[in-house]
Amino acid sequence: MVYRLSFVLWRVRIVMQLLVTYFLWWAIFSQHETLFGYTQSMMLTYILLSAVVRPFVMGTRTQEVGMMINDGSLSNYLTRPINLFRLFWSRDIADKSLNIIFAIGEIAILILLLKPSIILQANITVLLFTFLALVIGVVLFFYFSMLLSLLGFWTSEIWGPRFLSFILVEFFGGMLFPLDILPESLFRVSTLLPFSYFIYFPLKVYLGQLSVISMISGLGVGLVWALGLKLLTELLWRRGLMVYSSEGK
Amino acid sequence: MKTVRKYFILWGKLTANSFLSILASRFGASIFLLGKTLRFLFFFVFLLTIFTKISFIATYSVAQAVFFFLTFNLIDTTTQLFFREVYRFRQLVVTGDFDLVLTKPMNPLFRALVGGADPLDLLMLIPYIGLLIYLSLQLGGIQFWSVTLYLILILNGFLIAAGFHILVLALAVVTTEIDHTIMIYRDLTSMGRVPIDIYREPLRGILTFIIPIGIMMTFPAKAFLGLLSPTSMLLAFIVGLVFFILSVRIWRFALTQYSSASS
Repeated sequence: MVYRLSFVLWRVRIVMQLLVTYFLWWAIFSQHETLFGYTQSMMLTYILLSAVVRPFVMGTRTQEVGMMINDGSLSNYLTRPINLFRLFWSRDIADKSLNIIFAIGEIAILILLLKPSIILQANITVLLFTFLALVIGVVLFFYFSMLLSLLGFWTSEIWGPRFLSFILVEFFGGMLFPLDILPESLFRVSTLLPFSYFIYFPLKVYLGQLSVISMISGLGVGLVWALGLKLLTELLWRRGLMVYSSEGK
Repeated sequence: MKTVRKYFILWGKLTANSFLSILASRFGASIFLLGKTLRFLFFFVFLLTIFTKISFIATYSVAQAVFFFLTFNLIDTTTQLFFREVYRFRQLVVTGDFDLVLTKPMNPLFRALVGGADPLDLLMLIPYIGLLIYLSLQLGGIQFWSVTLYLILILNGFLIAAGFHILVLALAVVTTEIDHTIMIYRDLTSMGRVPIDIYREPLRGILTFIIPIGIMMTFPAKAFLGLLSPTSMLLAFIVGLVFFILSVRIWRFALTQYSSASS
């Protein structure tokens, strides 16, 4: 019963986070037809779909790796014939599946209750690019989150960097708004960071606001980021194992 | 008077311990402080970005909207400064260590609510207060009555925040669940980063009368700007007091349900 309540409250929290952003934008659009190149339906579609994209891309269990390193329980896994990265990929897929099922149900209920005008993308090419952008986002976030956890090899202060990364991702990932509403200079900075591939880029593709060339180049840059983070994570993993002391066990 | 003195000394000792414990790790504290600063700056940028396109939101100018945002941060940060221990309460309940609190000659609500202040929030308050004073001067000067009403309504907001935290603690005693409920509270109050008048009905009414976020976050700034009627002020005090008393009663009931989970 305790865990069921915890689960229910966790889902309530997810819906609450969505509603806070949704109602803010709904209020902002109350006096305007179009803002920052977005109609109300485009913006509300962005906000509602971000609630599905977010758990799909950012639903992860990799933060546990940092704790495992710090409390020494990583040793239990190192002695087994399993690849830790693959293990956490499996866990992430299970976690994402659970999140997605609930997120879709919650969004469907919210759409029925709030009756917003939303955009349903029917262009197969755009949907295909959206899917590819999501896959790149998933890979990118996995290695990004794993990278933060691997800091545990060198410090027990793993929550500080994760908290900081959450603040950065919330802003530069486009969790509250599409990044292209920002002033030009800030928007340019955001495109240089990998965070925009978590939420903003897949949704921008879905809304059909990018040309084919922009979509392809965006996917290319995302792929380079994903590859770079993968190599860096693997390097840190190998270096980290050299200094790992199984402290606490 | 003797009891008040005793609790004041106790609070001082608990706060000193908490400060020492958090500041023991300077790296972690610095990172958290940087994160909190960035979170403030990022929403500030978002607010200004919105105002580059629209001059007014629900009749509020950009300076007024920033004043509302700073008032939200003042109340939110002060609340976190004093009530940080609530975030650690679950551990006490699930390990059964709450028994040790109950057996001590100290009010358990006092220990659970204000037993571990956060020094990082104290540091964050300095720029917020500085910016509030600067902005209030820009908005047309500081007048005795507007400042007095502002401060009284902030205290009232603080009372409501205390009520919310007590409800979270009560739920934790009964169910051991706290992590999500405290974050639901945080998400809900984040709607007060902007004046609640901008929201459409029935949400605006809900945020004023059912979940009093508006009274907590928006009313003080409205009073300072001379936009709050005496009736609304009276309503704010009644809601604040009733909400606090009700939450304390719920806490007392929750204590009767405590089952000392793992001891």
